[in-house]
Amino acid sequence: MKAQPPSPHLDVRNVMWLLAAMVFVVAPHMLRLPYWVGVFFLVVVAWRAWIAWAAMHHPSRWVTALLTLAASVATFTQYGRIFGREAGVTLLIVMSSLKLLETHTQREVTLSIYLGFFLVLTNFLFSQGIPLGLYMLVCVWIFVATLVGFNRVGSSPTLSERLRPAGALIIQALPLMVAFFILFPRAQGPLWALPQDTRAGSTGLSDTMTPGNISNLIKSDAIAFRVQFDGDRPPFSKLYWRGPVMTEFDGATWSMPPIAPPGGLSYSKREMRSTYTITLEPHNKTWLFALDVPAVVPPGAYALGDLELRDRRPVAERKRYEVTSYLDYRYGERTSRAVLEASLRFDESRNPRTVALARQWARESPDARALLAKVFQYYNREFTYTLEPPALDRRDPYDDFLFESKKGFCEHYAGSFALLMRAAGIPARIVTGYQGGEVNPINHELVVRQADAHAWTEIWLPDQGWLRVDPTAAVSPLRVENGVNAALGPIGVMNSIIAADPLGVLVNIRNAWQAMNSQWDQWVIGYNTDKQRQFFSSLGFPSVDWRTLGFWLLVSTFVVGGAVTLGLLVRDRPPRREASLVAWNRFCAKLAAAGLPRAPHEGPLDFLARIKSARPGCGEPAEDITGRYVQARYGDGATREELQELARRVRRFRPA
Amino acid sequence: MIANLRQSISDWIFRASVPETPPVTLVQRRIFILPTRQGYTFAFTMLLLLVSSINYALSLGFILTFTLVSMAGVAMLHTWRNLAHLKLRPGRCDPVFAGDTAHFGVTVETPSLTRFAIAVRRRGEEPVYADVLAHESKLVSLPVAAPRRGLLRCGRLEIYTRYPVGLFHAWSYVDFDLRVIVYPRPDPAAGSPPQHSRSASEEGIPVPGDEEFNMLRAYHAGDAPKLIAWKALAREQGLLTKEFSAMASSELWLDWNEAHAPDTEARLSVLSHWVIQAERYGQSYGLRIPGVSIPPGRGEAHRTRCLEALALFGA
Repeated sequence: MKAQPPSPHLDVRNVMWLLAAMVFVVAPHMLRLPYWVGVFFLVVVAWRAWIAWAAMHHPSRWVTALLTLAASVATFTQYGRIFGREAGVTLLIVMSSLKLLETHTQREVTLSIYLGFFLVLTNFLFSQGIPLGLYMLVCVWIFVATLVGFNRVGSSPTLSERLRPAGALIIQALPLMVAFFILFPRAQGPLWALPQDTRAGSTGLSDTMTPGNISNLIKSDAIAFRVQFDGDRPPFSKLYWRGPVMTEFDGATWSMPPIAPPGGLSYSKREMRSTYTITLEPHNKTWLFALDVPAVVPPGAYALGDLELRDRRPVAERKRYEVTSYLDYRYGERTSRAVLEASLRFDESRNPRTVALARQWARESPDARALLAKVFQYYNREFTYTLEPPALDRRDPYDDFLFESKKGFCEHYAGSFALLMRAAGIPARIVTGYQGGEVNPINHELVVRQADAHAWTEIWLPDQGWLRVDPTAAVSPLRVENGVNAALGPIGVMNSIIAADPLGVLVNIRNAWQAMNSQWDQWVIGYNTDKQRQFFSSLGFPSVDWRTLGFWLLVSTFVVGGAVTLGLLVRDRPPRREASLVAWNRFCAKLAAAGLPRAPHEGPLDFLARIKSARPGCGEPAEDITGRYVQARYGDGATREELQELARRVRRFRPA
Repeated sequence: MIANLRQSISDWIFRASVPETPPVTLVQRRIFILPTRQGYTFAFTMLLLLVSSINYALSLGFILTFTLVSMAGVAMLHTWRNLAHLKLRPGRCDPVFAGDTAHFGVTVETPSLTRFAIAVRRRGEEPVYADVLAHESKLVSLPVAAPRRGLLRCGRLEIYTRYPVGLFHAWSYVDFDLRVIVYPRPDPAAGSPPQHSRSASEEGIPVPGDEEFNMLRAYHAGDAPKLIAWKALAREQGLLTKEFSAMASSELWLDWNEAHAPDTEARLSVLSHWVIQAERYGQSYGLRIPGVSIPPGRGEAHRTRCLEALALFGA
């Protein structure tokens, strides 16, 4: 074996760099994971720093073994397993910190840095946004700088001597990275089953509705989906993004029927056609959102009898699909008895006052339209639309709402309304989804957020089929026309700040930022097989298989890599001495043209003396040039920059 | 194993003429480059990152992986150019006594960029690292134990670097046939040179030394301060140096046969000690060993000549 390179004593400063890099990369995780993980990590890092600082002994093997065991047990206790996203990342963080503790050779340092690269990757399991991406770029930079520091054996580099070479390495790597990113064949679907909680934490509508759960969701500023319309955007009052439909009702909670009603898109009137593309954030459910009523279903999806769109698999990744809808429609005149019966069912023993009121109204006004008018009148009289409704009675929540609190959010209105209808003998059901959205003026996308979550109702009338009725609109017409912010005032800290800005600068910044995010989502994060195909067909390659990609990958590696190589190597070719002579000859030629030729025997300094006496006007630049030439040619030589400077000065020289 | 194989392959590829004429410039074809063990570990890490990125469909994971892979490629260039165009010259290789540490010197000079963490080593030994600033030359001194007297050859030197990130090992060989003369270790137990070997002439010729005051002469730069005639200076006679002379009554012959010792090496140690003693006391001395006879003389050059003769005895 060749002798191992010496393991020079790990320099304290180098160790500190390594520890700092680790803290940087783990910091975002500390905010996400249980607090003990962060505490454990920081304590171990501090311990390692102290070992380096005070030149202490490393803890013995059994101490680290014990800590490892304790950390594994803690992880298992926390999550009930050691696989899965949170548990796996926790374990990785804990183990990396313990690895740091026993790091005392160069090779172990390198391993720790490679582990750090892996920790960078684990951050992307939680977010792939621009801010985290940039932050992780900085982390990689620090890691590479640490690596540079450890490889500066024999001297201690300064801050810039660490950061600059590392930065240069990364910047020079970017062209090739871009080529790889575009050309590397993307696989369809995962190579092995994803741990269950990989996509956990995404917010969205649930498959049940109880008064209160949508108003919780609405506090989230997270994006649910984005929409690009082909052609004009329909008015906001038409933008009902249909999601789960809830028919089952137990007196408090509305839920989806356990067996999905059989499908078919049959409707008798189709007008106001609109085609649009939705980019849906992953929500881990099978339903897709579309405007009422969908006519053309995206491939891989299907429609249920209640016009719900479903995907075959839960949406675990950002999904783009195109839908065509008719916004003016009539459907469901012929609905099966079973469905209608299910839409009339309610528990007689619960919410008795509501049921009694509905029955009274039904007796007074047998006509459905008159009944509706009565109900809306009632809502209009004393009800308030609020995001913070008081807690309702568990058993009879709608009695409590309709007769006592009279304050509620969309789910209160939709739920109580549907119950009133059912009690009055009109089939009714709840539709949840989103209403409206916000148009980004920069890319004209409609951004629909969790805050736009909404619930409305559908009632069935014999000659008209299913009709959308939005009781919230009766109480707060603004909600439907102008969105939830207009109806309730700004929601969330960010919106409050933006609303307080009179010049609208912040709105513009936010819009630009969202437009950028949208591009990022589409072309960077969402770059998959389809996008790759799309990109290549735009370049004129109709079909792209992995062999074509491989070929171009190879070609671009050579071309891009070659260009970078040339750029690097040309720059540090040793400067040629003749360069100074070329510049000098040019200088002499200029003077000769001006009537002052250099005699063949004349040395540079003699010539300079003659120039000075003959042309005192250009004595100073001539002295400067001659000095530089003499230094370069007869003195210690010159660097490339100095030679370039000489040439530049000769170029600018004008014999007066 | 692999390292050995690598060594022998490059030995075969790289049969440099010995000794090479300085300066040697590390041109492209003289530089070899291969991944280090850390480089292979890095490649394995990259594979893991790639597989994870594919599996979790992490676009930023792809970006991370490809950035690091491309960075490794760029790092290869940087490592290579950290070594390229370096100019090497043989440096100082001063003689030492057996048992001391010899130093083989190589001067490294860069024509353009500053080079960091340039390592020089003899085969199988610890390297010496140096940063070479742009347009400067740097003496790299390789300490080597010199246990035995004789001629210590440096052999082929490997000059290498792993800067900036340690993923690649770029190296080149150079052989200037550097050598250090290792004098026999003086044997202090041998005492002074035997006095009876003084020859018959007893009249005594004064030779410069420091035993008896002889005269004052003008000060030369380098004269020891204790020899300066401070009193004369006080009398404003200028800087004068006191010259002493030893009464070198005769020529001293350091003879092989007079050095009583069990074996050749011990004998050489005794003679080495005598040479140093004789020189220290300012005696004129000659050396007589089998095959070599150095007529009496004094001074640094003479001492070196004698010690060299002892060092190379039998060689």
